[in-house]
Amino acid sequence: MKDITRREALKKMYQAVIAVGASTFLSFDDLLAAQETPVKPYVLWFHGTSCSGCSSAFLDMEDVPVMELLTQFFKMVFHPDLSAATGHQVLQVIDTLLESEQEYIFVLEGAIPVKLPHACMIGDKPLTDWVDKLATRATVNVAGGTCAVHGGVTKMQGTLTGAMTLQEYMNYRNIPPSLVNLPSCPMKPEHITYTLLHYIKKGTLPKMDNHRMPKHFFRRSVHERCIYHADYQENFFAEFIGDDGCLFKLGCQGPATKNNCFTVGYNSNTNNCIRAGHPCIGCAGERFPRQIMYHRYADPRTIKNKI
Amino acid sequence: MATKRIVIDPMTRIEGHLKIRTSAENGIIVDARASAEMFRGIEKALIGYDVRVAQHVTQRVCGICPYAHAEAASHALENAMKMKPNPNGQLLRSLITAAYHLQDYLLHFYQLCSLDFIDITSCLKYQGKDKTLLGIKTWIAHELKSSEIFPATPFFPRYEADYSKNDELNISAVKNYADSLAIMADLHKMVAIFGGKAPHPVTLEAGGVTTIPTFGKIAKYKTWFRKAEQFITEKYYNDLLGVLGEFKGYFQEGKGYGNLLSYPYFPDKHGEHFAFAGGATIHGKYQPLDMNLISEDHTYAYYEDLPSTGIKPLMSTQLKPITPNRFEQERDKANGKYSWAKAPRYNGEPMEVGPVARLINTYHSKTNPRLQQKVDQFNRKLGITLADYPSVMGRHLSRFILASETMERIKEQIEELSPNEPAFVEGETPRNARGYGLTEATRGALAHWIETDSKGYIQNYELIVPTTWNISPRDSQGKPGPVEKMLLGTNVNDTDHPIELARIVRSTDPCLACSVH
Repeated sequence: MKDITRREALKKMYQAVIAVGASTFLSFDDLLAAQETPVKPYVLWFHGTSCSGCSSAFLDMEDVPVMELLTQFFKMVFHPDLSAATGHQVLQVIDTLLESEQEYIFVLEGAIPVKLPHACMIGDKPLTDWVDKLATRATVNVAGGTCAVHGGVTKMQGTLTGAMTLQEYMNYRNIPPSLVNLPSCPMKPEHITYTLLHYIKKGTLPKMDNHRMPKHFFRRSVHERCIYHADYQENFFAEFIGDDGCLFKLGCQGPATKNNCFTVGYNSNTNNCIRAGHPCIGCAGERFPRQIMYHRYADPRTIKNKI
Repeated sequence: MATKRIVIDPMTRIEGHLKIRTSAENGIIVDARASAEMFRGIEKALIGYDVRVAQHVTQRVCGICPYAHAEAASHALENAMKMKPNPNGQLLRSLITAAYHLQDYLLHFYQLCSLDFIDITSCLKYQGKDKTLLGIKTWIAHELKSSEIFPATPFFPRYEADYSKNDELNISAVKNYADSLAIMADLHKMVAIFGGKAPHPVTLEAGGVTTIPTFGKIAKYKTWFRKAEQFITEKYYNDLLGVLGEFKGYFQEGKGYGNLLSYPYFPDKHGEHFAFAGGATIHGKYQPLDMNLISEDHTYAYYEDLPSTGIKPLMSTQLKPITPNRFEQERDKANGKYSWAKAPRYNGEPMEVGPVARLINTYHSKTNPRLQQKVDQFNRKLGITLADYPSVMGRHLSRFILASETMERIKEQIEELSPNEPAFVEGETPRNARGYGLTEATRGALAHWIETDSKGYIQNYELIVPTTWNISPRDSQGKPGPVEKMLLGTNVNDTDHPIELARIVRSTDPCLACSVH
């Protein structure tokens, strides 16, 4: 790649680092000091019981255009929504990759139906077979989005497929835990891009908490950085949608949800749910979706905790 | 005669998990089966959840058209609550979904379909100075020469096929493949500024939209819109016409039944006078919409058989998926169950839903003269008639015409907002009530039905989703689903590279996660 100099490429990468507010963790000098020819990791992206929302959000990545991510940062060996390969060609690509020595990163969007393996079939084989092969051989596994991390809507009460998260499945099948969890519904494109960049440049995953979620994104609750945090402390609450004040009494899940929505909001920080006048629905949390999400404080069905 | 099986599994560049199995005799498709391959069971899992949860959960049925589920769920709940949003709420809701429609049209044309028609290697001949194209040119040249096991993924490998030889068109389409991504990100921002985020905007509750449209937000929406409008009317228009010109024969491919179903979408601020009319066109004759004619058949779907095959919405709370053992048995049978999708029928007929249905039904209903005019103009320009629309190219063309009408409406409605005024009205949680809600996703007619219990929890929920109509399997009468029918009679040139089938299936913009839910 002569037309784009190494420095230019690194500059682009650094834009992505700045975009996720991670410049204190990975500086431009870090990037310059890294190995001379950046290795382009292979990425294999699979859909489990997913809705493609995380993929759709990934295409919105702006600080580094998606085409540059695809052509210069990593090699997307397979992505269900982007690959020209169709039908048997897909299986050939994956088989060839598995037979080679090539290292790769496995991204799974969506959960894994274990009780009803036939509830997710790809190339006439259940997803469980694919994950057995692909996750075991992968250098890094990425659980992309709430369904892959916590189960989300695919694991709500009353579902019958016996959905497992990627982590649960890897434990169940004794696959070594080379895993990073990136919840949010949808997964924020900045989260996966930064995680991949960190891996490209440093050869390691970013620092993670006990739940294997990068600390940099999931250390604090939404509540702690909320624009209404001061209102909460002063007991100034909105009683109706549209009122001024903290949305806690309308069922806001901000205090119970770890995510960085107020530093890296959605759609290149255009907005987030609370700024849009809606209580946080806790989409990155373990208990998403809750039985009641948005409600009036006066609703007798909700448990009233005196504040 | 030589019979050959042609299987496309997995079908890529669509939403979700789809398998197409066909048999060809001397290259002509004589049998086709479409199998939806993924099941989550979300609609019946909603039973016991609060009524307002439906909006958020059903959006997660689909990450490509979540806006439509949010809108249908809100309509259904409003119908049960016997209320309507105020004008601001109605306007914001439409402005959110309309921006999302535009994003969806671009995604479908460029990222999902264009690679079936254009030849990306034309970039190797590019002599200009555009940075994006030079980047792609260098990258492809470098990759194709390299020892990579699969060079230039995800754009290779691809079917060997009759791609366009028009270098100018190919280069322009590749450039716009890349540039459309930024425009789509902007269109998603238009959703997010009023909806909170995209995908999965949160603010579309029954009773309106929780965002207050401030001057600042309106101004931002307009700024992004102007850029998108320019891209759509210039770039998308040119590339589309280029592809239509090169592949004119595809106005005759993938025609299917030609029976079209649509629901009303994009009302004025009072929730009336829709830009796109509901209705059904059967054997060329338009009739107003009658929701009582809809039922779902599960003869060939992976569920335990219920006594009756044609089940009306909300008539069942049972949806028992078959066990892994039974699944194996069905697969081995010559005529066993083969899809997770059920088979919705309108008065017993399989119906195509989507852009063509929206366009033709609106045309016949005579409720939108501006759209009629646009259609007439295109018909004259391209030398086609309404009968050519249910086809691969007709579907692509319809999307553009609808996008252009959608943009006209956006420009009118953004001016009608009352800035800084609330867009949400609180309503009483409905108890022991029923309601239904209709809208259009870009890929077609979407309906939700809700039934609530005495405490305001969901007692029953039903979704009949666009792709369920299109991708449906056979029914108890043995009638193939619309996409299956579109494939029949198609001539496949190279059975190892069945590009013709891929083009037909992709033209309907399948969304499989939606279709099974």
